[in-house]
Amino acid sequence: MNSDESGRQTFSRPGDAMVKVENLTKHYDDLRRGRIIAVDQISFSAHAGEIFGLLGPNGAGKTTTLRLLSTLLKPTAGRIVINGFDGLTQPDQVRRSIGFMSVNTAVYDRMTAWEMVEYFGMLYGLSRSELQGRMEQLFDRLKMREIRDLLGSKMSTGMKQKVSIARALVHDPPVLIFDEPTAGLDVLVARALLSTIAELRDQGKCVIFSTHIMREAEKLCDRIAILYRGRVLAAGTLEELRRDYGQDDLEELFFQLITQAETTMIGKRG
Amino acid sequence: MWEGLELEQRGPFMMTCRNIWIVFAREIRDQLRDRRTIFMVAILPVLLYPFLGMTFFQIAQFMGEKPSRILVIGAREPLDPPLFENKGFAESLFLSPDEVSLLEVDFLSEGSRGSEKDWRSLAEEAVQSDRYDAVLYFPPGFASRLAAFREGIRQQIQAGLPAEGISRSDVSGGVENRPAAESSPGQYESQRTVVVSRSPIPSPRVYYSTANDRSQTAYRRLVEVLDRWADRVMEANLAAASLPPDAARPFIFETADVAVQSGFRGAAVWAKILPILLVIWALTGAFYPAVDLCAGEKERGTLETLLSSPARRGEIVLGKLAAITLFSMATAVLNLISMGLTGWLAFGHLPDFAAPPMIAIFWLAVALLPVSLVFSCLALGIAAFARSTKEGQYYLMPLLFCTLPLVGVPIARGLELDLGTALVPITGLVLLLKTMIEGQVAEGLKFAIPVALVTLGGCYFALRWAVYQFNSETVLFRESERFDLGAWLRHIFRQRAVPSAAAALTCGLAILLMRFVITNVLARIGVSWNLVQQALLSQLVVVLLPVVVLAALLTREIRPTFLLYLPTWRAVAGAALLALLLHPAFFTFQQVIVRLYPLDPVLKESLKQLTGQTTELWQLLVVLALVPAICEELAYRGFILSGFRSTHRAFHALIFATIFFAVGHTILQQSIVAFSAGLILGLIALQSRSLFPCMIYHALHNGLLIIEGSLNQNQIASYPWMKTLMTWTDEGPVYHMPVVVFGILAAGLVFAWMTSRPEVLRAYLAEEESAHSD
Repeated sequence: MNSDESGRQTFSRPGDAMVKVENLTKHYDDLRRGRIIAVDQISFSAHAGEIFGLLGPNGAGKTTTLRLLSTLLKPTAGRIVINGFDGLTQPDQVRRSIGFMSVNTAVYDRMTAWEMVEYFGMLYGLSRSELQGRMEQLFDRLKMREIRDLLGSKMSTGMKQKVSIARALVHDPPVLIFDEPTAGLDVLVARALLSTIAELRDQGKCVIFSTHIMREAEKLCDRIAILYRGRVLAAGTLEELRRDYGQDDLEELFFQLITQAETTMIGKRG
Repeated sequence: MWEGLELEQRGPFMMTCRNIWIVFAREIRDQLRDRRTIFMVAILPVLLYPFLGMTFFQIAQFMGEKPSRILVIGAREPLDPPLFENKGFAESLFLSPDEVSLLEVDFLSEGSRGSEKDWRSLAEEAVQSDRYDAVLYFPPGFASRLAAFREGIRQQIQAGLPAEGISRSDVSGGVENRPAAESSPGQYESQRTVVVSRSPIPSPRVYYSTANDRSQTAYRRLVEVLDRWADRVMEANLAAASLPPDAARPFIFETADVAVQSGFRGAAVWAKILPILLVIWALTGAFYPAVDLCAGEKERGTLETLLSSPARRGEIVLGKLAAITLFSMATAVLNLISMGLTGWLAFGHLPDFAAPPMIAIFWLAVALLPVSLVFSCLALGIAAFARSTKEGQYYLMPLLFCTLPLVGVPIARGLELDLGTALVPITGLVLLLKTMIEGQVAEGLKFAIPVALVTLGGCYFALRWAVYQFNSETVLFRESERFDLGAWLRHIFRQRAVPSAAAALTCGLAILLMRFVITNVLARIGVSWNLVQQALLSQLVVVLLPVVVLAALLTREIRPTFLLYLPTWRAVAGAALLALLLHPAFFTFQQVIVRLYPLDPVLKESLKQLTGQTTELWQLLVVLALVPAICEELAYRGFILSGFRSTHRAFHALIFATIFFAVGHTILQQSIVAFSAGLILGLIALQSRSLFPCMIYHALHNGLLIIEGSLNQNQIASYPWMKTLMTWTDEGPVYHMPVVVFGILAAGLVFAWMTSRPEVLRAYLAEEESAHSD
């Protein structure tokens, strides 16, 4: 854990980062609740060959953060650089450098698996000849031969997840962003998915992975940032976190940090 | 085309076209796999019209066989020629024996007596109570007086006496001597003249109800029979006068329909029907795909997937627009073809039926794309706003309510295409199509450019709105919410420093509404005010009041809202110079507009009365130059322009504020000039960031026009310098063309001088750049 010039804590590893997030902030206005701070000055970085996890409960700001990274949302303040491209000024290049998959990214009901992956492959700028070879490889690797010509409406949840992964990988992006990818999956499918994500890390991809399931974070992530109410409470490798907070169990560590954060917030309000 | 090139080799334009094509192709494939779309676009038209045609025939047969019930009152005396026989109307009065049974007649019993008023009440009650469809009333003495009238004619002719003096009102009985007119002093001759009776033939009456379809049908059938009987009566009267039956009508006017020769037979009817059908099918054909492709994608969760791809929002919108337009066109074509085939099969054998002329089909094909494009753009903008398909479908009805009057009312009211109607969105397009179908190509082409500009402008702004929706996080990721009026009011009440675009729109509409209400209220209560009063009311109540109220409620800072900053001397001088230099051009432009599109005579007369009132020049300058310069600038270049500028698109803000400014001038010819002046005023406001130069320009612009309008020929002749600028014609003063051209060129130089301050230009460009980076 490092400190920047202002003394604010930053959570980064030395070396070139594929993903750099600096003081990322996102506000929005709700008619009844007023101004909502969804993400509050988050900073972190992630590198190639690494799985960086965002761990936090529902409403912590994980999805908002990942939507900001994938340029679906514009930040109120702060900076995002992915693969050397600025998220505000070069959003097309950022989207070309990432594969984004979330519980909200569905498959088209009236397209087959092949058509869907091909569609996005073309949008990523791949020619048909490039796509043909690439998709054959992907479908083999992800064992999607049987569902190649199956319409989205007829697919099971696990099949849809495979198609989404294939879609995110078709253009071979250096950065992959997964927003709670195992939500709604059964154990077997979830396990297979996590195994695939680990393989991608081993192939040198930079993976940003969000979850609220401690076990997933423990098994998969090389480094973790714990989010709560839009802020990073702590970040680092598991060993670093255990050492820094004197807690072996990640779940207990998580509750300890949240309790501290709540106490601090109540103190500020009082 | 782009497949052989590497990604880096493809230019941005090619990438954009490629992405649009990819999105378009996917949307088409997706819709063609949707059973609902196939049903609506292809199957429904094929089945619907034959089914409707069959149903129509069934209903028509049922209605056609029902006889009409007629009550005849007061026909006790036999009529000559006979009207009735065998307890019904005389068969010889019908064109075919089948028609006799369509009029069932009851006669009121012989013993009934009563006053005229009683019979009238009886007849009205019989129709209103639906016991009879129509009542035919013969007043007492009708038959006898008719006979006496004819006898009088016969006696007159037999007596060899002149028919002078005989008229319907002179009908009487007997022969009497009348003193002759004096032919010379002292001479007197008596003439014998037959004067039969001096009592008039009382009029029979037909009672029926226009509130009732059956009654109207009965009336139509009855009147046809009575008209033929009246012709028989006339023939009998002519025979009594020993005249041949065709003496009253020795010739008939022959008709020749030139449309038959030129292939335009029936074009007038088709010119009314086809545009409406095209609009309805283009609109419905666009709306459902739009809702599915936008709101439906949001609902199904695939929109986020698509937005995370490298395709830009504009490319996605254009790809979807192309798909929606194609479906709109296909729906319109298939429906029109199916309707046409059904009509041809069902009615083609009828002698009065004329198929649409080929030229109508041609113009329909030409209009298909622009009409479909307009509605596709509208539908896309609305559908992009909706959260779900259910919400999207709710918006169809309001869209129909707004669109159909723009189409139906002008056609139903027989409006012609002119400059005014050409500038109304959708109405202009439909009337242009109608004009072309009628074969008036030259007339239509005169207005093709304004129609095209308005239509394309509408498409452009609708598309920009759709792209805005796709860029708007609140729209894309909007969750369901419960509307809380209190929270909403607290949200808008004085929360912003300057007005929002919505506030600007509200202000513009409020001014128009106030004008409509005040004008009609004054007309209803019969108030007649003089020019000064009317002008002050118009400016202070109609224009300024809504602005002040909205500014008080919705904004916190007056200075930025109304650009109440001190201007630079350059801006002040520049605005004044612009007004002076552009005055000849605007004056000439105004004359050209009035010449090309003359004022309505009624309007011209009322304006003449208004301006003809004795009013001092200084009063005119105050109420028509100074006060509008203050009030209208506060409204249009102040509140409204500031509001639209909150979207960070200065060009769009300028256009919208100017449109409201132009439309606020209710007289079309004034609106056109106001639009041009409004653009210049808006540019001055944007450049100077102050309202005061605009007020100076506006006051000078109006003031010079008023002063010029008050000039007469002698005044111009008496000032040599004026003669170098203008000359007097029948239309009044006219500027020499070199003066106009010089003024425009000099104004350009002045404006360049005004904008030559680098910091102003930089600020303006920075604002545009931030808009384009969205």
